[in-house]
Amino acid sequence: MNFFHCLKYSLKTMLKNKLTLMWTFLFPIALSTFMYMAFGNIFEKDEIFKTIPVAVVNVEENKAFREVLDTLAGEEGGSLISIEAGDEDSADKMLDDGKITGIIYVADKPSLKVKEQSVSATILRTVIEEYVKNEAVITDVVNTNPAGAADAVAKLTSGEKYFTEKSSSHGVQNEYYNYFYAIFAMSCLFASFAGSANISKLQANESALGMRRCLSPQHKMVIVSAEYISMLFVQFAIECVTLVYLSIIGINFGDRYPALILILFVGSSIGISMGAIIGSFSGLSSGTRDGLCVAISMILSILADLCVGGIKNTIEQNAPIINRINPAALISDSFYALNVYEDYSRYTSNMIILASMAAVMLIVCVLILRRNKYASV
Amino acid sequence: MSQAVTVHNLVKRYKEVLALDHFNLEINEGEIFGLLGPNGSGKTTTINCILSLLKFDKGEIKVFGKDMKPDSYELKSRIGVVMQNVAVFDELTVYDNIDYFCGLYVKDKNIRKQYVNEAIEFVGLEDYVRFLPKKLSGGLLRRLNIACGIAHKPKLIFFDEPTVAVDPQSRNKILEGIVKLNKEGATIIYTSHYMEEVEQICTRILIMDKGRSVAVGTKDELKKMIKNTETISVYVQELDEAVLSDIKELPHVYDVKYASNLLEIKYSGGQHNLVRVLDYFKQNEISFGKVYSEHPTLNDVFLEITGKELRD
Repeated sequence: MNFFHCLKYSLKTMLKNKLTLMWTFLFPIALSTFMYMAFGNIFEKDEIFKTIPVAVVNVEENKAFREVLDTLAGEEGGSLISIEAGDEDSADKMLDDGKITGIIYVADKPSLKVKEQSVSATILRTVIEEYVKNEAVITDVVNTNPAGAADAVAKLTSGEKYFTEKSSSHGVQNEYYNYFYAIFAMSCLFASFAGSANISKLQANESALGMRRCLSPQHKMVIVSAEYISMLFVQFAIECVTLVYLSIIGINFGDRYPALILILFVGSSIGISMGAIIGSFSGLSSGTRDGLCVAISMILSILADLCVGGIKNTIEQNAPIINRINPAALISDSFYALNVYEDYSRYTSNMIILASMAAVMLIVCVLILRRNKYASV
Repeated sequence: MSQAVTVHNLVKRYKEVLALDHFNLEINEGEIFGLLGPNGSGKTTTINCILSLLKFDKGEIKVFGKDMKPDSYELKSRIGVVMQNVAVFDELTVYDNIDYFCGLYVKDKNIRKQYVNEAIEFVGLEDYVRFLPKKLSGGLLRRLNIACGIAHKPKLIFFDEPTVAVDPQSRNKILEGIVKLNKEGATIIYTSHYMEEVEQICTRILIMDKGRSVAVGTKDELKKMIKNTETISVYVQELDEAVLSDIKELPHVYDVKYASNLLEIKYSGGQHNLVRVLDYFKQNEISFGKVYSEHPTLNDVFLEITGKELRD
């Protein structure tokens, strides 16, 4: 069958173009690596909490609280706080200089002084509030039921939980993951370059090669389909390699691999279809076509939270239709839906929209090419 | 004789430029038809219109008696095109390029293999089948271009200036090949601005200028359209006016010029004109150097009809 003949040579041509192939492979990997490096060690959970430097000022005698602080400062395997020595004046100076996060006042009612709000300041405040709350509970138990005091103290200090934490998602819920979803979306849409370049090579006014292929008796649908599938094969392979790479470096996309791979497949096809449409317009120069591919891919990806988080949510609240027809938003949302929701309804709806859009674009491309006659060649 | 191509009243404009001006053309099956004209005369535009690549403003085109449209796949399967610019894939070898293009026309694998090998043999690329196009010389590349255009054994083949920038050896090989294809039954449409090539291989020739058909016929018919039938040139040291007057009186002479020791005598008809001139010199004991006789070329035809050289 001629389709397989066309497919064979289309793949051969594509795979022998090693330079283009190398860059196409490297681009999403390089971009995701940069993104990963930009987020630093946010993904390395062990290093999130660092010892918080504090100064302790004794206002009143509170042996119990002082003991708690000393315990927190001397825990094995990394202390929560480190206590800087000094009086109130030197503590204030250290706070002003930024050498410590806060000053803990040891008194009958312990208090905290911080210069600015931060995660570390919140942790310190939580420690003090927890102490005050527990002290109140124990005092109350001692007053009302002295016999159960020991038991109450044991339970409070054991850290026992009275509820079970169970995640309904299959992956990690992390706002930074949206950027990686958007990278996949952009990488898929960047397949439009290949789509545009390869389809424009079927135009008689683009090259002698295009002219020769236009003059062949082969139906455009056959040639375009062969080109399309070979591009899809290459792009899909690239996306799969990127997924494996990101998983290796520690980005957790969950465990629904068949569904994840389907996103990459449908995502690649929408990118190629978009390029095919651009490539089928005969009046455009190659520069204009490339410009259109970059502009459209970037704009759609930015709207899907590639650069700044929250844009997609804002669109969802004000003009949700844009998110329903933006392929980049649909791709990144499919990743999100897979990661967060138990059922597949949102994911399936996204896949159907994307696949339909890709099919319509491909058909329009063939119809344009099929009866093309040129003003000049 | 049935017609392979007919073009009637074809008009094609590129914005303000009139590329084809009510152009007419009839090509019979089995011909090697030459489209001759200077650069920009409309040869390639004519071919592209016939092949339904270009929109045209007015006129009618039929190929094998049928309207040619972009989706006339049956007609396209009988046509081969060898374009001016080389149209091959840089990533594919010589064999793969020919196989790819042949495969767009021929579905059967075995037949295709046979056709591809025949095309390779036809253009003499047997030693280069595993070469990539970038490793081929200009002449070999042109041969590959031809093989890609004719491998499927088309009935009508367009050659659009296939010998541009080709070395003489490859050029001869290409021209011989075109004649062979014609003998095997293909109708050939050959465009060139090299009149020698057109004279050498074409059975009928159309001379075009500024998008118009200037003259059409066999090369002999075209040459008969002009007054000059022969020009005899003789190198002579000295000649007086009396001798020139005598020569002017010789049969069929219509013009005599003498400058820089070269005597140029133009004839309109007649036979054995050279013998008569040499007899005259012998009888009058006039010594002379080199002598040569030239029959009119297509350039002379073009010059006389349009008032300008073909290669202007």
